[in-house]
Amino acid sequence: MSVNKDQLTKLQEYLWELPKETRPGMRVPARVYALEELLDAILNDRSLEQLANVATLPGIVKASMVMPDVHEGYGFPIGGVAATRYPDGVISPGGIGYDINCGVRLLVSSLTYGQVKKRMEELSKEMYRQVPSGMGKGGFVKLSARNMDKVLSDGAAWAVEEGYGTPRDLEYTESHGCLPGADPNKVSDQAKKRGRDQLGTIGSGNHFVEVGRVGKIFDEEAADAYGLRPDQITILIHTGSRGLGHQVATDYLRIMMGAMPKYGIELPDRELACVPLSSPEGQDYFKAMCAAANFAWCNRQVITWECRKAWENVFGKSGGELGLLYDVAHNIAKIEEHLVDGEKMKVIVHRKGATRAFGPHYGELPEAYRPIGQPVLIPGSMGTASYVLAGTDESMASSFGSTCHGAGRRLSRRGAKKQVDAPKLLRELKDQGIYVQAGSHRGVAEEAPVAYKDVDLVVETVHQAGIAKRVAKLRPLGVVKG
Amino acid sequence: MYTIDHLSHTADIRLLLRADSREELFRAGFEAMNEIIKPGACRMPCPCIVTQTIEIASVDDTTLLIDFLSDVLTLAHEHKAVFCELNFLEMNANKLKASIGGRPANGFEEDIKAVTYHEANVRQNTDGKWETFLIFDI
Repeated sequence: MSVNKDQLTKLQEYLWELPKETRPGMRVPARVYALEELLDAILNDRSLEQLANVATLPGIVKASMVMPDVHEGYGFPIGGVAATRYPDGVISPGGIGYDINCGVRLLVSSLTYGQVKKRMEELSKEMYRQVPSGMGKGGFVKLSARNMDKVLSDGAAWAVEEGYGTPRDLEYTESHGCLPGADPNKVSDQAKKRGRDQLGTIGSGNHFVEVGRVGKIFDEEAADAYGLRPDQITILIHTGSRGLGHQVATDYLRIMMGAMPKYGIELPDRELACVPLSSPEGQDYFKAMCAAANFAWCNRQVITWECRKAWENVFGKSGGELGLLYDVAHNIAKIEEHLVDGEKMKVIVHRKGATRAFGPHYGELPEAYRPIGQPVLIPGSMGTASYVLAGTDESMASSFGSTCHGAGRRLSRRGAKKQVDAPKLLRELKDQGIYVQAGSHRGVAEEAPVAYKDVDLVVETVHQAGIAKRVAKLRPLGVVKG
Repeated sequence: MYTIDHLSHTADIRLLLRADSREELFRAGFEAMNEIIKPGACRMPCPCIVTQTIEIASVDDTTLLIDFLSDVLTLAHEHKAVFCELNFLEMNANKLKASIGGRPANGFEEDIKAVTYHEANVRQNTDGKWETFLIFDI
């Protein structure tokens, strides 16, 4: 089934709906947040077919949704949100993705661009030295079996106890860097082996560490609460649970594939494999997923320590502290309460390439952020811009407290490699004052700005739709990637 | 005999595999995956110092193929090795036993996160050829 524009109903200026009658098996409509010009690009791949498939999941409520940075994935589209009824609705590993708790963390310094400008190249190189990147690069932490289980149970708190951060870091992390439902015994030995030397590493693909500066501030009050000011130097970290998370997803997809007939579940795509959360298989997966999410938060905490080390190596004590603004996941499933048809309901929210965007007064947030809403971190691509947004009451009401997660790919990796001359791009970026330290030219070409949608349009959509509000724009100065 | 064609996909790697037999189709998937994680590595003679045996039972051909490749990928990560040699010891529509041999890889070129079930459908077409789509999450 392919989806065309005629099948979509325009609900609002930035919101489109594919009615549930569009294809057999859809239990709810499918909704798309997009400016019309983004929608045209979205219709070019199979994102919306995949979104219609998600709408067939047993127990799904309200609608399957995609954010404006959506692109086709496998099973779920990337940029997707789906909530299922708790506890008997399904949980689907495909709705979280293989990189469990892939997410973003933003550090803020007390220095301004003017103070670091002449040392940007040196800082980028030092970041590259301190933060292992690329395939097969292990980190300096080699976890014993006992410590692995502690990481899986305690998440970022393990790193803080070991001296790789401060208690304040935990306060400024989603779920304080630990999902309490984790059970290390539900994570396979193979997954643990893969993760043993991967703490403190970013990996490859679209993962990176980016030094930036605060450009435009859109909302003074929110920026002030978040501690952002013009020209301030920031560091953005984007990575997840590495091989450990990939293995957890692989292991449980196989288990669910075998278990689905027992629960009478038939789906249009095997990659949507799922079981009721309340089933033994669902419970086991949820516990393993929480453990992998904890590993990811611990990973970003250790990377934070590496970034702080690099910062101090370059600027010494006069560089001041790198404080944590926030850390938020964009590949995860969580049990939350939301309004569905006017009633408060406990649901299992799957976010695959979508960021939690809780509005004001949410108790988990640091006190200073509560009047504003949760910080939402949107990485752009090398050479463009990243954004800090804030969650809103509207996102709570409309999109299960979720919004976009990035610019969203536009070109395939092969397509990008065909179009991009990596050495030339690196020179051009350097001329713009952006220093890229990368493991390969191939990686640079695949992640070139041309491969991505216009992040400004993506953010414009979610801002106008009200499912996040713009706070500040960050300009890249140095990028470290595998 | 088998062929491996690269098709368009916005974020990941999408292939169409065609082969004369089920065994050759699995071999095509194996070769395609190696060529992604370590291009050219298996075109050189392989002093296979790491050997492993894989034994899988699955509900059908398609699941068997994906589970087989997933196991090879897991072993590649676990041993930080590229496995170039493949011998099927036993194979039918929902069961296989194979030995694989490889050598340390000194890092991979591409991080395949997973071999996905999405669009995979092992079948014999009207010409009697075996074929399937295969999507790797990268």
